[in-house]
Amino acid sequence: MGNLHDICRHRYCIQCKYTDCVSVCPVSCFYEGPNFLVIHPDECIDCDACVAECPVEAIFDENELPAEKQHFLLINEELAQKWPQILDPKDPLPEADKWANVDNKLEHLIKTAPEH
Amino acid sequence: MTRIERYVPSDKEKAFLDQVDNGKHDRQIINGIKKFVDGSAPQDMQNFYSPEELKAITDLDGTDRDLQKRMPIKVTRHYFEQATKSKAMRTLVKASPKETYDLDGSEDPGKQMSYSPVEGLIHKYELGLIYVASTCSAHCRFCYREELIAKKEVTRPDGTVAPKGLAQIKDIVEYVLEHNRLVDENGGRHPETGRERLREILMSGGDPMVLSNKNIAQWLSALSQAGIESIRIGTKEMAFYPKRFDETFFAMLDAFHELYPQTNLRMMVHFNHPDEFLAKDFEGNYIPHPQGGLEWIPETHAAVQEFCRRPWINVDNQSPIIAGINDDSDALRIMQRELKRNGVENHYFFCGRDIVGHKAFNVPIEKAWHILNESQKGLSGVEAHARLSITHYKGKTEVAAVTNDPVPGVKGGENGVVIFKLLRSAEDAPDRCKVTIVGRNSEAIWFSGYDDRVIIDEAELYSMYDIKALTEAAA
Repeated sequence: MGNLHDICRHRYCIQCKYTDCVSVCPVSCFYEGPNFLVIHPDECIDCDACVAECPVEAIFDENELPAEKQHFLLINEELAQKWPQILDPKDPLPEADKWANVDNKLEHLIKTAPEH
Repeated sequence: MTRIERYVPSDKEKAFLDQVDNGKHDRQIINGIKKFVDGSAPQDMQNFYSPEELKAITDLDGTDRDLQKRMPIKVTRHYFEQATKSKAMRTLVKASPKETYDLDGSEDPGKQMSYSPVEGLIHKYELGLIYVASTCSAHCRFCYREELIAKKEVTRPDGTVAPKGLAQIKDIVEYVLEHNRLVDENGGRHPETGRERLREILMSGGDPMVLSNKNIAQWLSALSQAGIESIRIGTKEMAFYPKRFDETFFAMLDAFHELYPQTNLRMMVHFNHPDEFLAKDFEGNYIPHPQGGLEWIPETHAAVQEFCRRPWINVDNQSPIIAGINDDSDALRIMQRELKRNGVENHYFFCGRDIVGHKAFNVPIEKAWHILNESQKGLSGVEAHARLSITHYKGKTEVAAVTNDPVPGVKGGENGVVIFKLLRSAEDAPDRCKVTIVGRNSEAIWFSGYDDRVIIDEAELYSMYDIKALTEAAA
């Protein structure tokens, strides 16, 4: 198994979960939790299409991921194994706009697999 | 943001798509030079670049000679492992400062944007080319789609500037249906462009094989349903990550063929050098097979065999001739012989295009012809089908012959002439096999190298730019 994921979601996705990224991903490598999306590190082909698409700029090329957000690489890897794949875009969470600019949302991350 | 309007598949397509399994693909890609610099690349890959090479590359970061901006650096584990045994493969995939010594070249070689009626579609000949992915599993340094891969801004015929976008299924299907409707209503020719029906679509990019099986399946069924008779997939995945051609992929193809038996699939593979598919012993030599021929890399051979087992699929190889990679007659002879013996047709060899930075990669036209001609000495007729092609704005052109007998009174003629043959014109068919003859110039790497020595221009490769033949100019 490689740990070569080059794109990683950081905290601004939590509680928002816009899915614009899902609609442009050529390999459908997004996985969905209750209030966060992750990218499967082995399936991602580093095309960067999603980076530009996210309305809250939550996606980084791994080479550009700031040092203080490096821990999200492991969170990505862990949750991509556990959560189901998301194939089609859907509406963001109801309070997405309110949460979009909030920092330090990691405490709100729900890691359980969604019920549906 | 712009939400893409999705293509809605028919019930027949849905039934097919429901059967498709994506499989799992662990390419172990190293993206960018950073992991080699900071030591976070896997242990065994860390010496792929020497410290001196890394310094020379990173010294250019942020300058107008930035190598990573010209073409992002990317390699798979499979290609890396084979490249440790091959100088040619290392040259193909490793960034080098010489790429940006000379930035002369065109941002849109072949003027593709002028043949693009819909975003992501180039409509030349009776063939449409679509960009379905903007990346590959690894990146060839000489790639002539650098503007797409590196997401560069390109000027369109209407003067607007934007990066090239990818084709969307809905747009392409609508275009094909409308084009073919107009052609049919007009007795076999488009009323305005004179083109014939769109019968064939080449899926390109980037590499369509980076897409998931489901995504590829959706393209195949949608194109087939729109009336496309032959679908090509242009791919280098056979060299970069042959395990991509796994059971789930062939199961998808078989399910497709069952529902759309009239559609033919043409895999356009891209081997540049036999090192990309042949096994080597510890001393770096190819391994003769006891029953004849040479041993292949097992997973690459398995992939080729799976295609050849299916009579509705053709496999053709095409490759540019690139300096330092395959400008080598012996390598090309082995490649053509082994490919043909294993069911892969040798289609075209290409002269490099005039992309930005092309001087680092291109072999002079006459030398490329000589290399290919030498490589085909000793091949049987069926092994030597490949021709040398150079892409003129007007269409695909063969470098048919280079002669040595002097032609007096012609610039460069003391050494002979070069004969170009227009194979197909991009707009229409009537100029097929017309010829242009020019005096020799051993330095020429593009048509422009012969501007001052045109002898006969029946194919109008020069007159379309108001460049006159010598006799005409003298008159």
